[in-house]
Amino acid sequence: MNDVVLMGLEVAVLVTGLAVLLLDLWITPDQRRLLGFGAIATLGVIFSASFAYLPDGTQYAFGGMYALDEFALYFKRFFLIAGMFVLLLSVGTSNAEEGGQGEYLSLSLFALAGMMFCASAANLALLFVSLELVTVTFYVLVGFQRRRLASLEAAIKYLIIGALSSAFLVYGIALIYGATGTLDFRQLASLPAAVMESRILWLGALFLFVGLGFKMAAVPFQIWAPDVYQGAPPSTTAFLAVGSKAAGFVLLLRVLHQTLPVLETRWLHLLMGIAGLSIAYGVLCAIPQRSLKRLLGYSSIANAGYLLIGVATLSAAGATAALYYLAGYLYTVLAAFIVIAVVLQHTGRDDFDGLAGLHQRSPLLAAGLTFAMVSLAGIPPLAGFFGKFLVLKAALAAGAEHPGFYWLLGIAIVGVVISLYYYFGVVRAVYWGAPGEQPAGPIRVEWPLQVALYLAMVAILWLGVMPNQITNLAELAVKSLGLR
Amino acid sequence: MEAVFFYLFAAATLLCGFLVIANPVSRNPVTSAMFLVLTIVSLAGLFVLLHAFFLAAVQILVYAGAVMVLFLFVIMLLDLQAEERRSFKKLALAGGGLAVVVIALLARAAVRESPLGTAAPPMVEGSPRALGKLLFTEYLLPFEILSVLLLVAMVGVILLSRKEAK
Repeated sequence: MNDVVLMGLEVAVLVTGLAVLLLDLWITPDQRRLLGFGAIATLGVIFSASFAYLPDGTQYAFGGMYALDEFALYFKRFFLIAGMFVLLLSVGTSNAEEGGQGEYLSLSLFALAGMMFCASAANLALLFVSLELVTVTFYVLVGFQRRRLASLEAAIKYLIIGALSSAFLVYGIALIYGATGTLDFRQLASLPAAVMESRILWLGALFLFVGLGFKMAAVPFQIWAPDVYQGAPPSTTAFLAVGSKAAGFVLLLRVLHQTLPVLETRWLHLLMGIAGLSIAYGVLCAIPQRSLKRLLGYSSIANAGYLLIGVATLSAAGATAALYYLAGYLYTVLAAFIVIAVVLQHTGRDDFDGLAGLHQRSPLLAAGLTFAMVSLAGIPPLAGFFGKFLVLKAALAAGAEHPGFYWLLGIAIVGVVISLYYYFGVVRAVYWGAPGEQPAGPIRVEWPLQVALYLAMVAILWLGVMPNQITNLAELAVKSLGLR
Repeated sequence: MEAVFFYLFAAATLLCGFLVIANPVSRNPVTSAMFLVLTIVSLAGLFVLLHAFFLAAVQILVYAGAVMVLFLFVIMLLDLQAEERRSFKKLALAGGGLAVVVIALLARAAVRESPLGTAAPPMVEGSPRALGKLLFTEYLLPFEILSVLLLVAMVGVILLSRKEAK
C-alpha cells in the first residue's frame, strides 16, 4: 500500500486541523460553533474510515518508520473517540473559554494527530517527535485560559516537568542508539543477544521509561498531575487524562513487547513496584481532596497503577485487560469532565460544596457524575468494574509464576476499597450535600453536552454489560503485538 | 592530543553547566545566561572532536547565537530582581544532589559493565550534505511532523502573548 494512504488517518486529522485554523480567519464568531461541529463530523468520518484498514499482519511505511497493525488501529480509534468528545466539550463550553475557539480546536486536533502517530511509531525518532508534538501542544492547551492564574501556573508546572522528562527521553534514546547503532524498532528487536545484554542499552531504556512514565502520570513521575489537572481548562484536563496517558501506554506496550523483549524480565519488578506505588499514592492522597478536578488527578495516578498491573503481568490477558480498562476509563473520565465543565461554568467552583444540590438543579448532570464515580469505584455492572476485574484476574493468573503479584493484588483490592470512600463522597455531595447560600436555579445543559453526556453514559453501561466486543478487539490488537 | 581536548571541553561543559544553575558568586540571571553560552560553546568543541563540524557550527550559530540573544533580551526586559534574592531551599538542594548521585552511579554501573568496542571509532564527517540527505529520506516523516510541531509552537506563542481582544 502507498505510504501516504497507510497513514491516511493521521494525514486526515492534520489536514482537518489546518483547515480549522485557516477557516477560523474568515468566519464570523456566530459560525464558530459550526466550525466545531464540522471538525467533529470530520473526525467521525475518519473514525469510520479506520475500519476500512484491514492490516494483514504489520504494514510499514516510510522505510519502517511507521507501523500499522491492529494494535495501532485500536489506539487510533481510541484517540479519535477521545478527540471527538473533547471537541464536543470545547464547543459546548465555548463561552466560558477565552476567545481563540478556532485555535483551541485546531491545537486539539494537532495533539490528536500526535497521539495517533505515537500509536504507530516504529522508530525512536518518530516516537520522540510525536510525543513532543503531544506534549508541546498540551503546554499551550493547559495554559489556554491565560487570564486565570491557576491555568498559567498549571502550564508552567507542566512545561518545566515536561521539559525535564523530554530531556530524559532524548538522553535515553541517545544511549540506546549508542549501544546498538540503530533507532529502528525492527532492527532493535533482532539484535544479537550480546548487544541485548548491554547495560548501556538498559540504562537508555530506563530513561525512556522515565519519559513515558511522565505521560502516564505513574509514581514517581506523577508530581505534576494534581496541579495541572486542577488548573487546566476542563476539556484540556479530560484530553490530558485520557489521551496523553494512553499515548504513554501505547508506547510502553510496543517498546516492551515488540521492540526490546529483553526488558520483559528485566522490568518485571520495576513495573510491579511502580504499579503498587502508583495505586497506593493515588488512593491515599485522594482521600482529603475537596476539589473534584484534583481528586480526579489523584485518581488518574491510581488508575495508571491499575493499568500498569495489566502491563506487568507480561501476558496477553494482562495487556488485553489494560486495553479494555483504558476504553472504560475513557468514557468514565469524559463523563466526569463534561459534568465538571458545566458545573464550573455555572458556579465557578469545582469543590464538593459547589456540587451540593446538583440533583435538583440538573438531574442529568447528577446522574452523569454518579455514573462516572460508580464506574471509577469499580461497581458492577459498569465499565470500571469489568476493567478492574480483568486486570486483577490477569494478576491472579500471573501470581502462579511470580508470588509478588499476590501482594500487588492485595494493594489493588485495598485501593479499590479505600477509593469507594472518596468516590461515594462525591455522590453524597451531589445528592445529600447541604446547598449553601448559592443560587439554586436549574442548570441548563447545552445540547451538544447533553448528547456527549448521554453517549458517555450509554457507553459506560454498554462496555460493562457487553464487554465482549471490546475485549475481542483488544485481543486482536494484543495478538498483533506478538503476545501470547 | 584529542584526549586532552576532550577532557578540557568536557570539564568546561560540566563546570559551566553547574554555574548556570548554582553560581555561588552571582545570582544574576544574566551571569547564568552567559555561562550557558560557555556551556554551549564547550559542547560545540566536543562535536568538533567527533568530526561533526556542521553540528558544531549549528550549535554555535543557533544556540549560542540566536537562542541566547533571545534569552538575554527576555531576561533584561523582565528585570528579574526577585530571582537574585531567592535563596536555595535545603530540601531542594538535597533532592537535586541525590538525583545527580543516583544517575551518576547508574551511568557508572552501565559503562563499567559494557565492554568498549575494539575497532577504531568511525570517522563520521558530519557534512551538511549527508545530514540533509538523511533528513529528507530516512527521517522524512519525523521531519514533517516537526513542521507541525513548529506551527503549534507558533500558534501557541501568539495565543498566549497577544493583546486582549476588543
